[in-house]
This record gives sequence, C-alpha cells and structure tokens, in this order.
Amino acid sequence: MIGATIRKDLQLLLRDRGALLSLFALPIVFIVVFGSIFRFGGDRSQPRPLPVWHQPGDARALTIVAAIEASGAFAPQRHDSPEAVRSLVAKEKTAAGLIIPADLDPPAGRKVELVIDLGAPMQVRGPIEGALGAVISQALAPAGTAAQPVLEPRTPPGLAKPLANITGFQVTVPGNGVLFGFFIALTVAMSFTEERRSGTWRRLLASPVSRGAALVAKLLPFVVIGLGQLGFLFGIGALFFGMRVAGSVSALVVLSLAVVLCSTALGLAMAALGGTEKQLGGVGSVTLLVMGLVGGCMVPRLVMPEVMRTIGMAVPHSWALDGYYTLLVRTGTGLTDILPQLGALLTFAAGFAAFGVWKFRFER
Amino acid sequence: MSAQPQDGAARAAEPAIAMSLRSLGKDFGARTAVHAIDLDIRKGQILGLLGPNGAGKTTTISMACGVVTPSRGAVLVDGVDLAAHPRRVKAQLGLVPQELAIYQELDAVQNLSYFGALHGLRGAALRQRVDWALHLAGLTDRAREVTATYSGGMKRRLNLAAGLVHRPRVLILDEPTVGVDPQSRNHVFETVRELAREGMAIVYTSHYMEEVEQLCDQIAIMDGGKIVAVGALPELVAAHARGGLELELEAPAPGGEALTRALAAAAAHAELARDPARPQVVRCEAPARLAPLLAAIEDCGVRVARITSYQSNLETVFLRLTGKALRDAQEGA
Ligand SMILES: Nc1ncnc2c1ncn2[C@@H]1O[C@H](COP(=O)(O)OP(=O)(O)OP(=O)(O)O)[C@@H](O)[C@H]1O
Ligand SMILES: [Mg+2]
Repeated sequence: MIGATIRKDLQLLLRDRGALLSLFALPIVFIVVFGSIFRFGGDRSQPRPLPVWHQPGDARALTIVAAIEASGAFAPQRHDSPEAVRSLVAKEKTAAGLIIPADLDPPAGRKVELVIDLGAPMQVRGPIEGALGAVISQALAPAGTAAQPVLEPRTPPGLAKPLANITGFQVTVPGNGVLFGFFIALTVAMSFTEERRSGTWRRLLASPVSRGAALVAKLLPFVVIGLGQLGFLFGIGALFFGMRVAGSVSALVVLSLAVVLCSTALGLAMAALGGTEKQLGGVGSVTLLVMGLVGGCMVPRLVMPEVMRTIGMAVPHSWALDGYYTLLVRTGTGLTDILPQLGALLTFAAGFAAFGVWKFRFER
Repeated sequence: MSAQPQDGAARAAEPAIAMSLRSLGKDFGARTAVHAIDLDIRKGQILGLLGPNGAGKTTTISMACGVVTPSRGAVLVDGVDLAAHPRRVKAQLGLVPQELAIYQELDAVQNLSYFGALHGLRGAALRQRVDWALHLAGLTDRAREVTATYSGGMKRRLNLAAGLVHRPRVLILDEPTVGVDPQSRNHVFETVRELAREGMAIVYTSHYMEEVEQLCDQIAIMDGGKIVAVGALPELVAAHARGGLELELEAPAPGGEALTRALAAAAAHAELARDPARPQVVRCEAPARLAPLLAAIEDCGVRVARITSYQSNLETVFLRLTGKALRDAQEGA
C-alpha cells in the first residue's frame, strides 16, 4: 500500500511541471541571479570606475588617487572639471565620483566631496562611502591618528534633492508592493480557468452580453482590487513604517494605476496561454517571482551589475520600481519625472493585452 | 422535427416553432463533431436529445445557445437568426450546462442575482425573479447559505434555476440530473413539466432512457454527429423496433467471429441485435427465424441457456439505431 502510494505520487509529481519547476528550477534561477548580483560587490578583479577631479599637480590629491587605485576596489579616472564628475553621477553613468579641493583640510571642514546620489538605497551608498573614507583617511594620515571624517557626500545637481533620513521601508514598501501587485496577474488567470472548468464561462457566453464586454467585465474587478491592494500596502507603509512620499501623491496614484493595468493585462495574457490551475500555480508563480527578482523587487537594481540592470529593463517591475523610487525619495517630483516609466508600463500593458486578446479562446 | 401533420386543421392546432436548427454543424479541426442537423422545437414541447458519449449532444446545444460558433448552418429562435442578432436571440434562451455551473463560494441568492443581471434584470424585477426561481428549485429555505454546503441534488436544482431565472422562451438542459437522488430528480421533472405547460420550449439532453421516456414528448436520437431518428416514442418504437426473442448463450461463448458469421447467415442483419456490453445475448425480432438461428448456434458448438421474449421500448430502439447500449453511455458519463 505504502509502495503504491509512493509510486502514484511520484508519477503525479513527474507530470506536474509547475511543481517540478518550483522544486528544482526555481532555486537554480535564484542561485544564479542572486549570485550574479553580488559577484561584483566582493570581486576585487573588477574595480568600479570612479571619476575624479583635482587640480593638476596637487601632490596630496595624487597620493589619494594612488591609494585608491592601489586598493583595487576602484579605478579612478581623472576628469577636467568638477562639473564633468557631477554630471556623470547625475546621469547615473556611475554610482559615485570624487572632487578633491586644492585647499583640502578635513579638520577645518574642507573635505573631499563624494558625489553620490543620497537618494540611493543604503546597500549602494554604504560600501562606497565606507571603502573610500577608509582609504582616504589612510592616505592623508598614514599613522592612523586622524579620526576626522574626510568625506562629504553630496547629491550632484540634476538629481532632485532626496529626502533626509531615508529608511529601509522607503525601498521595501514599493519593492514588495510591485512584487505582490503583479501577482494579481495570477489571480486573473486562475479566475478564467476556474470559470471555464466550472461551466460558468459557458453561462456567460450564453447570456446576451457581447464577448468583448464579457472580457472587459471580467478584468475590471481586478483593476479595482489591484488598486486597493497597492493603496493598502502604501497606506500601511506610510502609517506604521514611516514611509514618506517625497514627490506628488497624485502622480503616485497614476503610477499605481499603470502598474495595475499592466498586471491585469499580464493576467489576460497568462489566461490566453490556457494552462490548468495547477500549471498556473506552478509555472505562473515562478515566472512572477523571477520577474520580480530581475526587476529589483527583492534586491535594488542599483546594486546589480550592469548586465543584470539591462536584463531588468525587460520586465515591467523595474520600470514600476524606478517610478516609485523617484516619487518616494526625491522631493518635488511629479508626473513629468516619471513619464518614461509610465510610458514603459503602458507599453507593456498594451503588449500583454494585445497578446491576450489575440490568443484568448472563448470556446475551449 | 416533429411528425408532419397531414391536413391544414392539424397544422393550425400545433403550437408555433420556438427554435429551429437548420443544417447545423461543427468541425473541430479535422474531426466533425456534428454533421448537419435539422431540428424544430415547438412551444410547450419537451424534446429529448438522446445519444451515447461523444455523439455530439453538448456540441449541438452549445451551438444552439451561442456558446460555440457553428461551422455551418443556422439557429433560429422565433424566426430570428442567432448569428445575425446574437444579443436579441440569447435573451430568449436559457442554458443549464452539464457541469455544476454555479459559484460555490456564493449563496443561492447571489448566484441567481448575478445570472439574472447578465440577462439585464435589475432592481425589484430581479429580486422577484430570484424569489420565483428559488421557489421553483425548492431552495427558498437555504437561499442565504453558501452553496458549497448544499447537497449534490440541491446544487443541481440551483444549476437549473440559474438557467431559467430570466424566464427564457427556450430552455436547454444538458444532463440536468446527473448524480442526483430520485427526490431531486422528481423535483427537476416537475419543474420542467410545469415550465413546458406554461409554454416554454425545452431541449432535454440525457443518458437516462427512463427520464426521456417519462418526460419527453419528442425524442431525437443522435449518433456520430447525426440525428438518426426523431419522433414521439410510439412512432420511434413502431418505426425502428419490434418485440422479439432474446437468446442467452451459455457464457463464455467460444469462437466469437465464427458465431457472428453463422448468425448472419441464419438471419437478416435487420432482424438481429447484439449488445456489445452483453455479448452472450442475441436478440431476434423475427420469431420465424428462431429455428435456423438455433441450428447455427448449435453448429458453432455453443449452447443456448435461455430463450425469453421482450417488449420493444426506447432502449431497443436505441440499440437498433446506434448499435450501442445506453448503459455504457451511462457508465461513461
Ligand atoms: N472543444 C473541442 N475540441 C475538440 N473536439 C471536441 C471539442 N468538444 C467536443 N469535441 C469532440 O466532439 C465530439 C462530440 O462531443 P460532445 O461533447 O458534443 O458529445 P456528447 O454527446 O455531449 O457526449 P457526452 O455524452 O459524453 O457528454 C467528441 O468526439 C468530442 O471529442
Ligand atoms: Mg455532453
């Protein structure tokens, strides 16, 4: 009896691609993705490019640059003006830059300017500030007597001023909001499957309602539910976790609507592929998790290497998160600052919807 | 198609045609599920659609109510073409699917309100119709309970009520009594009869011989995507089967092939009927053939255990026409 049960369950499991995927393939995907995210952090053979400006011939500056280079963590590149360094950071070509004034004197408050986006999450700023601070103090006072901070982090012009005292919730609330917001897609697809299986779909088709209207009517409730979900998550974040909205709240609502439209349309696309509830539960949820991972919902994309950041652009999650970060972290931002993200999300939504309508089979 | 009346007076007395299927057919890829069906259903008539598994019953009624798009032919309701005016025609139709097509997480009132609203009912009219349908289904007492807690029979009754909450002119039922107790079955029968008395045209699909015999005043037998016979029960029996003799062979009957050949030589094919589910039984409609049949069987070295006479009924008609026993169909359902 026990043997037969084991055999039967193994047979069932081997036929359940969703379960196999989440048991065997999903961990591998996570291992690979997380691994390639963190590789650059500790890998000394890949120094991070660091634009630097100092007066030509400034001896102390040359000492500092040499020490930084010797550390192996950074590859300093001299530029012709402080503005050039600031603009590279402002355009997010590089995470940080250094401006070493000729009259450098940390005890008197004339410190090395660390050009960095203060709105970036701590995972990004922390290691850079720590490493550069240590190397520069060493270079200035080899005896190790100087306990003064030598760096002054400052956001370059061109990036809107970030909020002071950013907490982790400023990152985790939108991250998880987007991750779980997109899970609506699964609910949408499952709802179609369930209606087909139970026969209520046949009743809907037999009623005097056009097929287009039936489809829209089936999707609209999920837009409402999705908006409610995001409203709830951001509301809880603001009320209990001190999450703040630095930019415009109405822009946040518009962005959330775009996110929900996109996830609902993704749900239609998934429904159009026509899997069973089991397949959706397995393959569908794994897909959404991987999309969230690649899109930066669990680990901010800023800390990911260039390759992963580029791959991330292929999922709507990354655009949604970029939009949320802009509105949550940068003061005075509004609709115009998130136009690219809105555009991308609506393009994704239109693509998903077009695929869904094209592939959806009413009579199956 | 009902029996064609002979004179003008009888024609006038017959109720109007509620629904016509005209050369209706459906292909799924290379497979033809339904060839080209012609069928009329009159007001107040209960038409039984009978056929073995895979005969094309569900496909036919799905086309009839606009759930499946036909590959050919047309559906007319009160003379209006379904394909040309889908919303107008669908408003006149009610479907009770083969599955339990209700939301088990909701209560009966919520279910019926939704299906009523799909048909454009709202407000007081909707509430009135929901109450009416609940009463008809005998569910008024449990109306506010989540339907997952209902018995199988109660769910079936709600499934029926959901198809008629908007009081359609034509009600299409796809095996509405699968897996229900006799009491619920009788309730469904009574409801269907009452609706027919009020003038509703009803298409009733079933595997159950007795149901169709009891309930339907017209019977259409389907097989292999075609309607092989249609008419009232006595007409069908008169046209397609007679009583006869049943020879029960001593099981196991050896030499199946040889026996079949010997039997074919002894009696015309039309006079013999064999039920694949009971290979040891040979039915013969021509008593005059008994002697040569017995000789042929004996020549094959098989002994006859029993000879009985049988009356012809819907089951023998069905067996004759389709070569399949309905019992198989029931088991497969
Ligand atoms: N969506 C579909 N795609 C392909 N083939 C189909 C589809 N629906 C039905 N068929 C085929 O059409 C034929 C008729 O099926 P249908 O469901 O109409 O039979 P039925 O008489 O209702 O059978 P049952 O008594 O088992 O309910 C079968 O061979 C079936 O496999
Ligand atoms: Mg069927």
